[in-house]
Amino acid sequence: MLKFKFYIFLIFICFSTVVKGQKTPTYIVEKDSIVFNFDVRDYKKFTKDNSSRRVDADELDIQKVTLSGQFNNWSRDGWEMQKTGDYIYQLKKKLTHFDSEFSWEFKYLINNQYWAEPDKSFDHITESEKSSIWRKVYNLKMFTVHSDENGNAHFFLKGYEDAEKAILSGTFNRWDEHNLEMEKTKGGWKISLNLKPDTYQYKFIVDGNWMEDPNNAHKEYNEHHTFNSILTIKETVTFELKGYENASSVVLTGSFNDWDSKDFPMKKIDDKWKYTLTLAGGKHHYKFIVDGKWIIDPANPIKEHDEYGNINSVKMVE
Amino acid sequence: MTILRLYIIGIFLCCSTFLFADDNELDVNTLQFPKAEYIGENTVRIPFKLYDNLIVIEAEIFNQKGNFVIDTGAEKLLLNNVHFKNTNNKPSHLRHSGISSDIDEVKIKWLKKMLVRDFSIDNVKSHILDLSHIEKSKKMSLFGVVGYNVLKNYEIFIDFYLKQITLSKIDNDGNKIDDLPYLEKITDTINFTLRKHTIVLDSYVNNQKLKFGLDTGAEMNLLDRSVSKKVMKNFINPKKMVVVGAGKEKNNVLAGKLHKVKLSNAVYCGPMKTILTNMKTMDIAYGTKLDGVLGYEFIATRRMILNYKKKQLYFIKTVFFK
Repeated sequence: MLKFKFYIFLIFICFSTVVKGQKTPTYIVEKDSIVFNFDVRDYKKFTKDNSSRRVDADELDIQKVTLSGQFNNWSRDGWEMQKTGDYIYQLKKKLTHFDSEFSWEFKYLINNQYWAEPDKSFDHITESEKSSIWRKVYNLKMFTVHSDENGNAHFFLKGYEDAEKAILSGTFNRWDEHNLEMEKTKGGWKISLNLKPDTYQYKFIVDGNWMEDPNNAHKEYNEHHTFNSILTIKETVTFELKGYENASSVVLTGSFNDWDSKDFPMKKIDDKWKYTLTLAGGKHHYKFIVDGKWIIDPANPIKEHDEYGNINSVKMVE
Repeated sequence: MTILRLYIIGIFLCCSTFLFADDNELDVNTLQFPKAEYIGENTVRIPFKLYDNLIVIEAEIFNQKGNFVIDTGAEKLLLNNVHFKNTNNKPSHLRHSGISSDIDEVKIKWLKKMLVRDFSIDNVKSHILDLSHIEKSKKMSLFGVVGYNVLKNYEIFIDFYLKQITLSKIDNDGNKIDDLPYLEKITDTINFTLRKHTIVLDSYVNNQKLKFGLDTGAEMNLLDRSVSKKVMKNFINPKKMVVVGAGKEKNNVLAGKLHKVKLSNAVYCGPMKTILTNMKTMDIAYGTKLDGVLGYEFIATRRMILNYKKKQLYFIKTVFFK
């Protein structure tokens, strides 16, 4: 009898895994766009707005599906989806619509009055503010930071080959514990992201255990009395000074090289003096030294005092 | 949805500070800004980050590092009790009102002296209360909210181009103590009135005079639903939006774009995303009756200097330099 129960249990587990795996992804990232997918077959019930009455999905004659979420202030009639198959509705939006936040909650709204609420079998969900102890309500969740092979930030965790799952979590996705699953590779786990120039903190979660990056010496003590690893993403920046054709030397100097007067000699290319370097995100003060004379950038209207009363040009890297 | 809820919570917090005016004198504490640049004895620049539409600076207090929201809509400095549980500041008196009953623990303290390196902010009254719901929604470590009673002692340059806030200490006449002139050209100056802690700007929409509050902690612009039809004509393309209030009640509100807002003969605003709401419910929080609120949507496109003593706002030409 016990064996039989175990067998039934196994079948149930396998079945639920298959069901979970069968769902159409609620969104996919395609180059510079996000495609939102609503598959009617993935929902058994819809919830009427205001009354919270639940109806069987088969009972509803679907006239219109709209995408409603934090990105459009839960608008009910703005983002209508296109029917692209018998059961599928889709909407394509540029990624740039979403880059002001790390994650967004959303749901699909049927006929302007019925919410398609995901159940726990959906992959990316988060508990809604409408949830209560009587009935759990979930929203779908999308993340603007996603795995990108061509990205500029590469993470590698050596070893842990017997682990089942490794997740990357950090300030770039506000420490979400689910969305950035690392890929098992030879000798460890890897993931690449495309991040804006800035300084980020991150950790790995290996089978539920948080750990700092053992191969990164840059780390910061945190409020949990452990360490967060630090990653700085830089951007290539070219400084230019037009004119000064008769100058024999022009040097770039700034807060990025501790105002060294020799480090970065500029090269004359056509009618401009140029120097290219990589800079961390944020604000940088700089000046040019033309034949020994320190000058601010005449083409840059942004300038600031420093603590000694000097005036410097300012470059923002974002 | 979350945005308005947070906003309402923000308002709610303002209300609560208003009601708990009990003071408790305590030891010297320090508030430091690890990423700040000190460009004079009385001038400091602090880089900020945006968490959604909130202006957030990193600060250190009681040897802990965390974030503070810069909020001209808040009356006082608020501290999040999640991070200050061990400060041994038990409330001596708790006055309960309708609003306070929702708060588990409100501790009131007097930060006798806060030091920003050479910089001192004296006698800043702060309230400690639970801000964990904002932390949860924004997924950030929030230490508190810097409000009017700190900001009023400074000329405040909120610069969205350089993503920084510059605080320059001012004397009783509102003049900057450090003799550091702005390198930027001030293009417009606007006078405002101060009602309690709220900056009130005389504004015009379709030649109708309105009173708008300026609130750096408001994630959305607001417009009172009882404004005249002439004003409403410029509230374009309204769409229904679902918002959830602090009490988790659902509301349908109208969100649209408010066109042709004019603050003076020189300062015109482009169309701004605005929510139509009943401003009466926010009168207590702002301490005055308003026809609307200018928040993030207004501030984010500008480089703006604010002086509470002179009751003036200065605007600097926005420049684009690559």
